[in-house]
Amino acid sequence: MATKRRYLPLASTRHLEKMMTKYYALSRYHRLWGKPLKRPLAWITSGAPVELLRAFNIHPVYPENYGAICGTRRVSTDLCQVAEAAGYSQDLCSYARSHIGSILRPDLAPMGGLPKPPDMLVCCTNICGTVLKWYEALARIFNVPLLVLDTPFLPGDLTAHARQYVLEQLKEMVTALERLTGRPLNRDELNRQLARSSETIRLWKEIRQLCRATPSPLNAPDLFIHMAPIVTLRGTRQAVDYYRRLKDEVKQRVQQGQGAVEGEKIRLVWDNIAIWYQIFGFFKMFSQQGACFVTDTYSGGWVMELSPGDPLESMAATYTEIFLNRSPEFRARQMIELIQDYKADGFVMHSNRSCKPYSLVQEVIRRRVMQQTGVPGLVVEADMTDQRVYAEEPIRNRVQAFLETVGGL
Amino acid sequence: MGQYFLGVDIGSLTTKVVLVNTGSEMVARATGRSGYSGRTVAERLVTELLRERGMNKNEIAATVATGYGRVTFPADREVSEITCQARGIAHLFGDARTVIDIGGQDSKVIRLLPGGKVIDFAMNDKCAAGTGRFLEVMAQALELRVEDLGELAAVARKHCNISSFCTVFAESEVISHVSAGAPKADIVAGVCDAVAARVATMTSRTGLEPEVVFTGGVARNSGVVNALAKQLGCPLQVPGEPEITAALGAALFARGIIGD
Ligand code: SF4
Repeated sequence: MATKRRYLPLASTRHLEKMMTKYYALSRYHRLWGKPLKRPLAWITSGAPVELLRAFNIHPVYPENYGAICGTRRVSTDLCQVAEAAGYSQDLCSYARSHIGSILRPDLAPMGGLPKPPDMLVCCTNICGTVLKWYEALARIFNVPLLVLDTPFLPGDLTAHARQYVLEQLKEMVTALERLTGRPLNRDELNRQLARSSETIRLWKEIRQLCRATPSPLNAPDLFIHMAPIVTLRGTRQAVDYYRRLKDEVKQRVQQGQGAVEGEKIRLVWDNIAIWYQIFGFFKMFSQQGACFVTDTYSGGWVMELSPGDPLESMAATYTEIFLNRSPEFRARQMIELIQDYKADGFVMHSNRSCKPYSLVQEVIRRRVMQQTGVPGLVVEADMTDQRVYAEEPIRNRVQAFLETVGGL
Repeated sequence: MGQYFLGVDIGSLTTKVVLVNTGSEMVARATGRSGYSGRTVAERLVTELLRERGMNKNEIAATVATGYGRVTFPADREVSEITCQARGIAHLFGDARTVIDIGGQDSKVIRLLPGGKVIDFAMNDKCAAGTGRFLEVMAQALELRVEDLGELAAVARKHCNISSFCTVFAESEVISHVSAGAPKADIVAGVCDAVAARVATMTSRTGLEPEVVFTGGVARNSGVVNALAKQLGCPLQVPGEPEITAALGAALFARGIIGD
């Protein structure tokens, strides 16, 4: 029976909010300080080598993270419609549509949209091919330089040839950035940036691993909310400080045996981007039944430990090897390991209409994971930000049936 | 203490109620159109059922509700229709390992273990393709009764092709077949094929292990039964009353609440 279960909030959230508000406020007024401080503004994809930009003192903002904000504030659908009216297909990723919509109709957009125009656009294809077309459209709209890092899809392991190909492009990117900023690359600064990124990533990894505890100190919505700094502020002092604080809090929960979901009975793994407009409602269907999402593949995507060695070579490998750029076999293995490491009883895959590279192979992965682990997996059809794709009743129905299957009656 | 157990399945198109006794035997059942309020219909069906049998409400020891309207009905417990369906079918067909259920707005494939434990399931997503509703729309476009589709499909000379996934577009395909002069029987056969094809695709997600049981109101349509058996390449068992099996499962769960 559905019993009301209390959901434990994190004290760190307040600090997170403060930090993110500051970051967005600073970004918003970039036109006031960017020029005097010689800090150009870049719009950048979530999987791009931001450390390089930070080494050039460039201020990065993330249209994808902004898309997630539009999603949680439930304005994406309106913004998507604006983009659709301008001729963009409904099949285009809803982050791209929301973002383009926010440019066309800033009055409908949170914070009036991202600061614009950007001085440059930086796009890495390791997450999808969509970003290339999206950023090309942006480059046409604003008539600004577009830097592309093309990372070949990895059907197996990273080959020397692929690494070389990406490395050459990184070198070209350095030249382009030197030209755009008018200063040479400061290698020491790049090393410092990379070291801080590593530190952020390490902390994020440790926090996630603390969720192996039973009960798990965090549930998926916590992971989704607290991943914002690893995406947008990775490599900054603030991010490192923040994750230290979060880690302390999470560790304390583990020591006190406190679970994110009261009376945790079922442990699940989540696959794919959050359903931002339903970030609490959706997971409540689970937490009310004592089911906790103890880990996920999405926020775990940022646990990409930087390979050692020469900074550019390390970045070439790290950024090409991210999981979205890898084979279904790799992703199935990843899922299986998560299920085993976190002692999960099942997994839920969000088949996300927006994100094709993430979603298309899920059925293959689901079958393989079920076969090898013996735990059941559910596929839920939705979209990360376009609410028109979310069908409440059918989803509730599937979730209930799934929990009856996992938990027994 | 009551001696009977009630299962109520409030579906999008029809509402079914089933009564079982302590020996898990089905003693009564009734169905009605869900209409605007499935709950009201369910309550009426139960009242009538009790009156016919000269029983009073207290003789019902426990009630389990399932189907889309399950939360609206005052029951001891609500259970999803996937779990109920599996339970009902396992009761009727001990060897069943796969259930294909086509209801009003859902079609689903359920894989189960002996005893009815669900191991996997797949459902149509946010779309009426491959459901009873789809058949209703097509029957309407052809000015036929849904009940007559099966008989008509049996006399088709060739099967028209209906390829649109969208029900509305499929309807216009039907209309263009009509205006092209295709015989109704051939079009109906094509409509049955289309429903079967959509559901057959779902079985590739869950896998298909015999015995395969076909339930839901659409299982009464011999046109779809034949089309589906052909596409899956295996025989299908159809319960005598294919639409009430989830309600039966619910009644059996109600029976379980009290214990054996
Ligand atoms: S398609 Fe997927 S990976 Fe690409 S931008 Fe959209 S959400 Fe991100």
